[in-house]
Amino acid sequence: MLTMIRAIVRPEKADKVLAALMDAGFPSVTKYSVAGRGKQRGIKIGDVTYDEIPKVMLMSVINPADKEFVIETIMKTAKSGSKGAFGDGKIFVSDVEEAYTISSGVREIAFASAGVAP
Amino acid sequence: MKEVIAVVRMNMMNQTKEALTKAGADAFFAHEAQGRGKGFVNPKVLEGTKEGYEEAASLLGAKGQLYPKRLVTVVVRDELVDDVVQALIVTNQTGRSGDGKIFVLPMADAVRVRTGESGSKSIV
Repeated sequence: MLTMIRAIVRPEKADKVLAALMDAGFPSVTKYSVAGRGKQRGIKIGDVTYDEIPKVMLMSVINPADKEFVIETIMKTAKSGSKGAFGDGKIFVSDVEEAYTISSGVREIAFASAGVAP
Repeated sequence: MKEVIAVVRMNMMNQTKEALTKAGADAFFAHEAQGRGKGFVNPKVLEGTKEGYEEAASLLGAKGQLYPKRLVTVVVRDELVDDVVQALIVTNQTGRSGDGKIFVLPMADAVRVRTGESGSKSIV
């Protein structure tokens, strides 16, 4: 069983998070743009409410043992300031039952935590 | 019910669509994404460096470059999972690194908005 981490972060923080994950030995990440709102129902400026705020979704599949560490890494780097602010994002964790590498067709049992090319 | 998420090459989308239809999963959802893997070196870049292109050399130095990919999401019945995964592997496999990954996740429920029916009936 593997674990999928999906993190919604501010677009301007995405590069920082990606760099931190790379340094921590988690190079494999997929990134895509999303738009959404949170508990605060978007941002209200004057009479206008913006409820489709652009964010970046980072998806990574890791070993369950590394879950805590990856969450910690994302949390630290994606936070605004030391206290954080509304709109910093969310992290979702789900189970992955099977994972396959297409180039080799191999079913992965576990992913190496330090991503070093052989 | 299972959710199959595949990261595939951009230029493989047409073949992937056909293969999914043949495997019995007509309905799917895709979007553009960028990603990186274990960090293997692109063979073309390596060739370029050998031939002395400075651009290639600078690319080689860049760590964790993101490559454009497509993210394909298919929700299928349990008995179709193996067929769909095999179809995705067979059509997307070139044998080089960067072919992508396939993940299979459990999916609790699905609802067809038009009729309100839920469960495996809604995704046939």
